[in-house]
Amino acid sequence: MKHPNQSTLALFAGGDLGYFARWKTERHLANCDLCGAEVASFEAIREISTDLAEVPEVSWSGLEAEMKANIRLGLVAGECVRMADAPLRERRLFTGFRAAVALASIVTLVVTGVVLQTPAPLMADDHMVVQGIDNGIEVGGRGSAFRLMNTGATNVTFSVGAQGSMGARYVDPKTGYITINNVYAE
Amino acid sequence: MSEVIEPGLELQDRQNRFVSEHLRRIFVQIYRIVGNVADAQDLTQEAFIKALQHQEQLKDEQKAAHWLSRIATNTAIDFLRRNSRTTFCEIDEAPESHSESPEQALLRSEHRGYLEDGLRLLSPRERAALLLRDVEGLPAEEVARRLDCSKATVRSHIANARTKFRKYIERRKR
Repeated sequence: MKHPNQSTLALFAGGDLGYFARWKTERHLANCDLCGAEVASFEAIREISTDLAEVPEVSWSGLEAEMKANIRLGLVAGECVRMADAPLRERRLFTGFRAAVALASIVTLVVTGVVLQTPAPLMADDHMVVQGIDNGIEVGGRGSAFRLMNTGATNVTFSVGAQGSMGARYVDPKTGYITINNVYAE
Repeated sequence: MSEVIEPGLELQDRQNRFVSEHLRRIFVQIYRIVGNVADAQDLTQEAFIKALQHQEQLKDEQKAAHWLSRIATNTAIDFLRRNSRTTFCEIDEAPESHSESPEQALLRSEHRGYLEDGLRLLSPRERAALLLRDVEGLPAEEVARRLDCSKATVRSHIANARTKFRKYIERRKR
């Protein structure tokens, strides 16, 4: 036969078991004198412990007056402490609004620093063009241009360099001098 | 300044009434847990001060009484935890009773001391659970509310407390 444990019997003695556990324990107790004696012992202990309900006879009126006075004193003292604390709280350096402004300033400063530190990407100058025109070499783009004129030349030989340079070679018809112009665009 | 410190008369009257209505009950409740008049007196005062400092909770009288009992129980348990070894009145310091002979008073005091020794073997929460359930006769649900724990935990505390207390009594009988 399996016996209920001590805790179950202790709770049964005080009527603290749930419905099903109580029913099971009752069924067991009907056939088990050993557990019945245990329950009786727990019930006796409960009887004894009710003696703890006894409160010593004290001069209640005196005790009551003393306690009331002390409670009143404690409340007033608590109020004083709260009032002394209040100005400290008002003087706090960072209230909600101030803290928000300070935080926003710090964030702005950090973001500006990061932006300034980051080098701007080098933009390739797509519009810079070196080209041979009817009367010379032109370097230009975005609405402005620089031209090196081949004044009066008729038979001009242009050469183009792979690194953005252009050359013009011609013979001056008046003087017979050979002129060589080289233009490098950077 | 004094206007702020001094609560209004109406409020003070209400506080006084509240204290008068519950003082004895709370004192007895705490006394049963700590087993000492002087400590019970201090802890009763402490419990009332804690309660009255949160006066907004006192609007509903029924709830206020419940709430005050919880504060009292917790204050007493905290005290027992802080002072793991509780002290009790010496016999010659015990309050006098005029309705019994010195011999009867001595026997009563000895009996109380004998039971208190048994309670010292319990943890503060087991002790409070046992006293609230078996001495004050509160249902387990109410004990759970007072101790701010589940009913299953209270059952466990009660079962442990009864088992330990029984072992103590049986050992002393031998």
